[in-house]
Amino acid sequence: MLSNHNEPTMVLVARKDLKLSTGKLAVQCAHAATSCTIIAIKKEKRLFERWKNNGARKICLQVDDLNSLQMIAGQAQSSNLITHIVKDAGHTEIPPGTVTVLGIGPGPRRSIDAIVQDLKPY
Amino acid sequence: MGIRSFIHRLTAPSPKRSILIDEEVKMVFIINSELKMGKGKIAAQVGHAAVSSTLKSGDKTPELLEAWLASGQKKICVKGNDAEHLLQLEKQSRERDITTVKINDAGHTQIPSGSLTVLSLGPDLETNLNKITGDLKLL
Repeated sequence: MLSNHNEPTMVLVARKDLKLSTGKLAVQCAHAATSCTIIAIKKEKRLFERWKNNGARKICLQVDDLNSLQMIAGQAQSSNLITHIVKDAGHTEIPPGTVTVLGIGPGPRRSIDAIVQDLKPY
Repeated sequence: MGIRSFIHRLTAPSPKRSILIDEEVKMVFIINSELKMGKGKIAAQVGHAAVSSTLKSGDKTPELLEAWLASGQKKICVKGNDAEHLLQLEKQSRERDITTVKINDAGHTQIPSGSLTVLSLGPDLETNLNKITGDLKLL
């Protein structure tokens, strides 16, 4: 994998309990990634550039339910990481306003890993 | 044509598409379904595509990007047959001046390095995109 272990990364934390279809999951994650990127461009331009130039690394992880997602979000926010929580518009599959995915980063890989190290890949 | 206007023509930025935005703007992701990717893998690849398309359209078609962001970033995922199919759709989209982004996987996991995983189109007007992807199945 990457040789430098503190290059910026992004993680997309998705709720497993919603049992979203592949396409729906992908769209929700894309939403989180785009929104986090826009926040990064506005707030942390240099971090964003470094992340982009290193291949805009991102991975998709799973949590069991809304509670776990919110706990992770809280930890990320108290570490001053960029976060974005996606609430679905509810056009399909699930009720409007359902929290589906949490995006964290781009941020230093070590800080993010410390928060999500116990989560499984989706 | 004089030499100066000739040089100007070569060096001037190409005229931007003028677009009347009077309908929904969306982004479409076409997944290479020949590759057997897991759900999380597809999600991350589509995430890459969305970010790249956002950045690219910020340079190329800022008014479409603005309209797309303001209207809630509508996105859909559809199935493409294989890499060749994706390339063919890319060509058709370019002919219509639609922003395209191809994602080739770094190959750390699941599939061979360099595989074309996702083609993303837009953000662009719904009717423009439907001409190209309207027949494809939702993922």
